[in-house]
Amino acid sequence: MSRSDLPERTNKGEQMRNAVEEKNQLLVIEDNPADVDLLQRALAAAKLDCQLTVVDDGALAMALFRPGAATPVPDLAIVDLNLPKHGGIEIIAQMRANPMFADVPVVILSSSSSPSDRSKMEKYQIRRYIVKPADLDEFMNIGPQIREILSINKKLGRSSGA
Amino acid sequence: MHPFRDIPIRQKLMVIIMSVTASALVLAGSGIIVADSILFRAAMQRDISALAQIVADNSTAALAFEDPRTATQTLGSLKARPHLVGACIFRPNGAIFAQYLRPGSGMECPAGNAADQMLFTGSGLMIRRPIELNGRRIGTLVLLNDLGELTEHIGLYGQAVLLILLLSILVAFLLSSRLRAIIAGPISQLADATRQVSETSDYSIRAQKLSGDELGALADGFNEMLARIQSQDSELREALLAQAAALKESQEVRDSLRTTLASIGDAVISTDARGRVVFVNAVAQSLLGLTEADLVHRPLDEVFQVVNEFNRAKISSPVTEVLREGRIVGMANHTILVARDGREIPIDDSAAPIRNEGGSIQGTVLVFRDVTARRRADETSRLLASVVQSSDDAIFSWDLNGTVTSWNQGAERIFGFSAAEIVGQSVAAIFPPDRLDELSSLKARIGSGERIEQFQTLRKTKAGDLLNVSLTVSPVQDPTGRITAASVVSRNITEQVRAADRLARLNADLQRSNEVLALTNQDLERFAFIASHDLQEPLRMITAYSQLLIKSFPGQFNSEASAYVDNIVDGTTRMRELLTDLLAYTEIRSRDEQPLELVDLNVVVENVVQDLKASIDETGAVISSDRLPVVRAFRAHFQPLFQNLIGNAIKYRGESPPRIHVSVQEVGGELRFSVSDNGMGIDPEYHKQIFEVFRRLHGRKIPGTGVGLAICQRVVERYGGRIWVESLAGQGATFFFTLPNVAIRFAGEDK
Repeated sequence: MSRSDLPERTNKGEQMRNAVEEKNQLLVIEDNPADVDLLQRALAAAKLDCQLTVVDDGALAMALFRPGAATPVPDLAIVDLNLPKHGGIEIIAQMRANPMFADVPVVILSSSSSPSDRSKMEKYQIRRYIVKPADLDEFMNIGPQIREILSINKKLGRSSGA
Repeated sequence: MHPFRDIPIRQKLMVIIMSVTASALVLAGSGIIVADSILFRAAMQRDISALAQIVADNSTAALAFEDPRTATQTLGSLKARPHLVGACIFRPNGAIFAQYLRPGSGMECPAGNAADQMLFTGSGLMIRRPIELNGRRIGTLVLLNDLGELTEHIGLYGQAVLLILLLSILVAFLLSSRLRAIIAGPISQLADATRQVSETSDYSIRAQKLSGDELGALADGFNEMLARIQSQDSELREALLAQAAALKESQEVRDSLRTTLASIGDAVISTDARGRVVFVNAVAQSLLGLTEADLVHRPLDEVFQVVNEFNRAKISSPVTEVLREGRIVGMANHTILVARDGREIPIDDSAAPIRNEGGSIQGTVLVFRDVTARRRADETSRLLASVVQSSDDAIFSWDLNGTVTSWNQGAERIFGFSAAEIVGQSVAAIFPPDRLDELSSLKARIGSGERIEQFQTLRKTKAGDLLNVSLTVSPVQDPTGRITAASVVSRNITEQVRAADRLARLNADLQRSNEVLALTNQDLERFAFIASHDLQEPLRMITAYSQLLIKSFPGQFNSEASAYVDNIVDGTTRMRELLTDLLAYTEIRSRDEQPLELVDLNVVVENVVQDLKASIDETGAVISSDRLPVVRAFRAHFQPLFQNLIGNAIKYRGESPPRIHVSVQEVGGELRFSVSDNGMGIDPEYHKQIFEVFRRLHGRKIPGTGVGLAICQRVVERYGGRIWVESLAGQGATFFFTLPNVAIRFAGEDK
């Protein structure tokens, strides 16, 4: 696998506006570039055609969801809990407080397996809580999980006539 | 009774008058009639006799000449007399010579030869008379006259009499109805008056005097009697009222005296002149232990038994003395009353004579009281005085001017002033110069009734040394409640203060080192948490990218390089296990923000068995458990606790398949859980070490991080419990733990 095989990736939110409509818009809030890299590999291995927007800073993530911010609504948000400046929980709270993002499916991708972290997330309608696996094969398995969530979400979106 | 007696006088009088009048009249009428009829008969006899003479004379010739015709003629003239019913002339031989019989009368001539006579027969008057010629009897004449005339006469007369009678009765009635009022009026008036008096009891009513006769006198007498009764009645009435008032007053006085005596706090007994109990109040009854019924009429000496407190000699009751001497007697001190139930009560008493108006002794009154409380108070105050005097604390007092009024031995010892030196002097003598303002403040606070407790300050001894003292200063009140002085208890705490200072310094040092230690501990905990958490990340990277390296460049690494990568992955995996366990270990203490939940330990053990299924199947382990309780705790603590203990029991097994039993039993008032196995056991030398973090007794042969038992210990200690192991090498092991701070309940219990 080489870099060119990886899904297209932008670094800043404003570039998302130019994104191709058919591609799945994924917002990844994660500060560890290696994890972003592994995530891209997993998505590519699962043959998921997506546009990734990566935000590696808590403060920036908070700004994205501030009321009135002109951030495009992604199809899915993948959030790490352990971020500089603002933690994932805070970011998700801000996101859910904004009606635009209230229904965006969220997947937590965290190195913490602590039940307390898990339980804190319960009230935010989290689609899946994935503990970052150490084993490569297990990490690759995240791709199919994302695909599944996206397809369920699409079906839901259609059936609700959005 | 006799109906006549009951009828009113008015009618009685009338009946009397009428009956008297009627009977007098009837009697008079009857007399007149009788007399008249007698006279009338006599007149009739005379008349008839004369007529007979005439007829006889007129018939003499006819008879002498035997001429019956003439004779009959003569006789016939008699028909002019209506009542002459028959006339017969008989011959001397008795044969009828001539006769006249009034037609319709039915009469016949009687026998002709009867004796001469005149007689009344049933039907009338018959006269028989001779007819003589020259003195020779030539015939007999008989005349028969009926009584019709008499009857007629009497009837007429009777009618007259009856008429007069009726008229008289009428007049009498009219008169009597007038006259009877003269008698009956006053009587009925008197009777009315009497009835009124008896009905109303009003003795002012008077009968009216209507006449000057006996009835008038009777009315006078009646009135006089009434007047006397009236005056007596009113006197009696007044006397009765006065008596009632007097009685009521004396009753009230007696009641109030009795109430006073009954409710008085002292015991009161009164006796008569012979010393017998007459009255005894409730206090006396209770002190003597006898009831009023037991006491009254008994000689006082029998029921009031007193002895001398010290020599137990019987003392005669003061009543005897009063009766003998006739004066008030107080009892000697130290008198003990022996109550009936044997109680001994110290009493004060006195007795006094009761004199009547004439001054002679009528009885006595004995007053006594239980002085136990006062005696006790006296003893207490004596005791207190000696306590004060012998106290190690300085106890003294000063008046509101600050002048010392008392000074005990403790004060002498502590401050160096003798009582003689300082009493009467200002208490300022023991105040250090720079604390003299305390004195005025103390005076003001005491003056306002405040009590100052445990006030620590400095005082000065006679020699000028400074002392640390703890003062308790209390206001002293006189019986009227006015604050007159301050009592001071002053304890010399110089030594304590010094010791306390030293202790405080030591404590402060200790506190500081504790804080440092706590901070260090916190830092360490934090460090361990962060490290174990954050170190995961790079290890994950190492693992993932090592694997990626091999996968991304297939064919470019030989088997040796692959083995190296495997070693890298193994190392990082093991490191991650260590970090994960370490993280779990540090997290046990950071759960306080979550609510406690009910954790069924039976379920926890089941879950653990489920989780360990692979190794259980592999080793053929048999795991059994007692019925375990439900606890109120954090579920996340008990899973690792049992997982580590049971997992260890499988991991460190012996030759035979593991047999593991979880049990709980009450030992010494607390629940003791245990997990016992038949495994390889632990040498007692290591029984303590095994609970330390990262401490392992076995090499790589048996995998493990050395954190499991440390986690168990941490969990148990978090709930105030302890964990230990009982085991010998090769003989299995039993891990025990207790959970004192956990609310525990067994299934089926209601609590």
